[in-house]
Amino acid sequence: MASLPAGATAVPAPAAPPKGGSRSPMALLLRQLLRRPLVVVALVLLAAILAVAALAPWIMPYNPMKMDIIGRLKPPTAAHWFGTDEFGRDVLSRVMQGARLSLLVGVLVVAVAALLGTLLGLAAGYLRALDGALMRLTDALMAFPDILLAIAFMAALGPSLYNVVLALGIVYTPRVARVVRAASLVVREMPYVEAATALGCSTPRIVFLHILPNLLSPIVVQATFIFASAILTEAALSFLGVGVPPTTPTWGNMIAGAQQYFRQADWLVLFPGLAIVLTVLALQIVGDGLRDALDPRLQKVT
Amino acid sequence: MTPFRSLFASAVGAMLFGAAAISGAPAAAQTPASVVTVATIGEPPTLDPVGVTSDLVSIITQHVFETLFTFDKDWNLTPLVAAALPETSADGRTYTIPLRSGVAFHGGGNVTAEDVVASLERWTRLSPRGKTTAPLIESIRAKDASTVVITLKEPFAPLTALLAMNNGAAVVVPKANIDASGPLKALAGTGPYRLLEHKPDQYIRLVRFDGYASPAGPASGYGGARAAKIGEVRFVPVPNATTRVEGMLAGQFQFADSLPAEMLGRIKDAPGVTPVVVKPYGFPLMIMNTKTGVLANTALRRAVLAALTPNDMMLAAFGDPAFFAPEGSIYGPGTPYHDAASAKPYTENDPAVAADRLKAAGYKGEPVRIMTSTQYDFLYKMSLVAQANLQQAGFTVDLQVLDWATLLQRRGDEKGWDAFFTYHTFVPEPSLITFLNPSYPGWWDSPEKRAALAAFNGEMEPNARKAKWVELQKRFYAEVPTVKIGDFYNLAASSGRLKGYTPTPWPFFWNTELAD
Amino acid sequence: MFVYIARRLAGMLLVMLIVAAVVFVIARVVPGDPAAVMLGSAATPEDVAALRVRLGLDQPLATQFLLYLGQIATFDLGDSIFLNRPVAQALAERAELTALLTLMSVSIAVLIGVPVGILSAAMRGRWIDQGAVALAMLAASVPSFWIGLTLIKYLAVDLPWFPVSGYGPPDAGFAERLRHLVLPAIALGIPNSALILRFTRTSMLDVLGDDYVRTARAKGLTPATVVLKHALRNAMIPILTVIGLTAAVMIAGAIVTETVFGLPGVGNLIVSAVQRRDYPVIQGALLVVSGIYVLINLSVDLLYAVVDPRVRY
Repeated sequence: MASLPAGATAVPAPAAPPKGGSRSPMALLLRQLLRRPLVVVALVLLAAILAVAALAPWIMPYNPMKMDIIGRLKPPTAAHWFGTDEFGRDVLSRVMQGARLSLLVGVLVVAVAALLGTLLGLAAGYLRALDGALMRLTDALMAFPDILLAIAFMAALGPSLYNVVLALGIVYTPRVARVVRAASLVVREMPYVEAATALGCSTPRIVFLHILPNLLSPIVVQATFIFASAILTEAALSFLGVGVPPTTPTWGNMIAGAQQYFRQADWLVLFPGLAIVLTVLALQIVGDGLRDALDPRLQKVT
Repeated sequence: MTPFRSLFASAVGAMLFGAAAISGAPAAAQTPASVVTVATIGEPPTLDPVGVTSDLVSIITQHVFETLFTFDKDWNLTPLVAAALPETSADGRTYTIPLRSGVAFHGGGNVTAEDVVASLERWTRLSPRGKTTAPLIESIRAKDASTVVITLKEPFAPLTALLAMNNGAAVVVPKANIDASGPLKALAGTGPYRLLEHKPDQYIRLVRFDGYASPAGPASGYGGARAAKIGEVRFVPVPNATTRVEGMLAGQFQFADSLPAEMLGRIKDAPGVTPVVVKPYGFPLMIMNTKTGVLANTALRRAVLAALTPNDMMLAAFGDPAFFAPEGSIYGPGTPYHDAASAKPYTENDPAVAADRLKAAGYKGEPVRIMTSTQYDFLYKMSLVAQANLQQAGFTVDLQVLDWATLLQRRGDEKGWDAFFTYHTFVPEPSLITFLNPSYPGWWDSPEKRAALAAFNGEMEPNARKAKWVELQKRFYAEVPTVKIGDFYNLAASSGRLKGYTPTPWPFFWNTELAD
Repeated sequence: MFVYIARRLAGMLLVMLIVAAVVFVIARVVPGDPAAVMLGSAATPEDVAALRVRLGLDQPLATQFLLYLGQIATFDLGDSIFLNRPVAQALAERAELTALLTLMSVSIAVLIGVPVGILSAAMRGRWIDQGAVALAMLAASVPSFWIGLTLIKYLAVDLPWFPVSGYGPPDAGFAERLRHLVLPAIALGIPNSALILRFTRTSMLDVLGDDYVRTARAKGLTPATVVLKHALRNAMIPILTVIGLTAAVMIAGAIVTETVFGLPGVGNLIVSAVQRRDYPVIQGALLVVSGIYVLINLSVDLLYAVVDPRVRY
């Protein structure tokens, strides 16, 4: 799977120190991103997928749950661009509905992991007393390969979309926590933070006003990759039958359900599979672009 | 630096190579001349056929263990370890069973009446079928070295069929292998094959038993002469149905069981592979909770029956109409217990009728909790159609997709569900049908049904039994404890080289040969 | 340094204890009953209850946990409910396959990832580099079960070059076993080769930007010498560690791959154990796999501590 191994994320990615001048860092970042054609293509693709997901209820040609048993397993035609599935449901509509659900899973997983991970990472990085205990906890969670931990959680929680979000959110929390901790260890020693401490600022004020803003870029980079991993892992969980309930048309479920028709009706596997590949690919390219733009180390060699 | 590098290397090394060293090389065994590899739907939970009613266990263990009686091709009772059919006393309470002489156990020694008595007693303790029979049994004893006598407290016609079933089976094992409470000390029976090696999730190897003593007479169904012509029958668990088909087409297997009906075309087109259609095979069921919850109301269960579209459900589940029949009679046409008239309500599907019945019953949108599982793909698919049907009629449906293990556990709790999907394999004797048992989840147990079942079980004369069965089926459609969705047939595939194979619900491989 | 190692080892034991607790809790809150699964569809609730007593599943959870910890302390993983044998034996029987599969997949991933990664770094910015990076990203975006299904369709069914599934007959020789692992190893190796490729490229770029490499270039050494002799040697340690970590990730990836190809390995055992509610096997497998994972992680951390003086003890 595309998950980064533990050690790769454990390498501290030092945050860029706050830049002086009037130009906002966001504008700089955007300009740097837009300089790379591949990243632009990926951003456009991502925007298109997001638009389909957002507008799905209005642009879907059919009700994605409407069965037509007589018209089952029909190859792509003018009426059904992506064909029909084993219940005669319209595959195009289901892929669109799937975009909504799969992206929802991805976004929510990112939200859970980023929130929990940032809190844990900040606590560990800034409050020395908690560091040991919190890091042992993340170590323990990272001691399970991510899909294995997700399977174990799902077996315990039972299949539901929100349980998948919870399980994957917990699985990816340590990744964010480690990055945030590592980066906050660096930022903590920066002169301006030491100055703030010397001026008698309260701990929460230092953490949230001075440290957190400087951690945003590694968090955003990490979040992009977690988004991509979450979509892939959700698909794998559904394939193994322990993910989102099979009645919910996520992309992973569509492939899992269509497996047995692969030979006679390959469009059932092809279209949701392409949707996964394109989405994950776009996310990875954007994530890479972000990381390169934010990581000064890579600009050494020209 | 060096020690650390080597520590790292050894950690990786331990993982990569150390594990291989632990497991060692597989036991080198001699390969008999001919091997038939059979792809089954999964790993059996046990190889002792007494305690469980799993079809998979039956398919494998019937080669190793034998019962006193079995069924011929017309599902009539025929002797197996017994020498003849039992003599029944005039009051229907005493069964005298003569045993064949010279029937050898795999571990040595011949079958004696002592072994049979101990085996039957074990069956009444451990088998789900034996346990329901036990209260009716007064005694099981050896009359002499080769005769066993069973005395009942009251006449019970299904007894011989129960003794002949190959699941929850009353198999004959050596008395010495029986532990009072635990599992068998050795998996030794009297069958034409004996167990050579069992590697869970990989294979079960059965090899020809040279000391096998076959029953006499021409082979017919499970009855008559049995000859182990194939040296080794190897059962390989392949849970993925598509993989079973692909492996069959690639020549990895000589037989593959339970294949998706949609694959028929590919199996037909493949050279050297023959499709096998088993008919009758089984019937999917929507079991409803008659004891507690919203469907405990008979009127609502009748509304469910009217709302469902069995033909759509079966089509979605099995694809090819050659593999199913929308059949309401619990026993399909061509079987002795078929009766269309009493199954008429099955054909009256109409959402409007269902909606009227809902209104008349005062239904207020209480959710109907239906449990289903993707482990059996066809059950899952028909439950999706059922959900759509019921919603159209006005039901609020809470479809819960569980894994099979969870479903089996939850269905034991009467407060946890209103309906679940399962299927029943064809059984020659109606009283073996699970949902007739009042302790089976669903708990169908009205006074009228109890009386009808007792009348049926107490009747020995075949024609009168048929009439009493029709009465019971009328109760079934009056109270609708369960919806029988239809009949379906099993698709298996056999290598063109496999000769003499007889299609049955539980495939067996004695009397078959492997041509070159 | 030794204090640091001792502390890390103690930390590891603590981690494993937490892991054991997590594993135990997860296995016990799993809904579904092993007794019901074993007894089949005609079993009555009374039968199920009786079997639960026999399996010790009726004891209070705390008692079960203490018994469990006692067992682990003596390296006893308990007995499988379903398979009628010790969990350690069940794992050992399947370890060979998973170890071989991991080894083959790692080899494939390394053979693709390292050379292409080096080439890509050396050619930074040129079309070879961009193509390699794009392909790597594509490979990492494809679900491995999709690769597996496609390989089966084209290389095992349409062209019968490889077996469709399984691990061969019981008397199969080593070569036959390897043949059964080729497609699974490719399916598992491809997404992971992307990881190694990108990591190799990044490490090489890191090193290529260092002063001594610039010096070597300035001395007029050929680019090949600079890349292969000077830069690669220094980039190798992070690359080696990522290979080790990839191997650890693959043990988990094997869960999906073994399911697609019907291979009776450790991954398959875990999936079946979840379906069969075989608590001891779920616990044992999770514990052993995460133990291996922890060991590799620890080794990597120690290695970094040695290599990178910036890490504080």
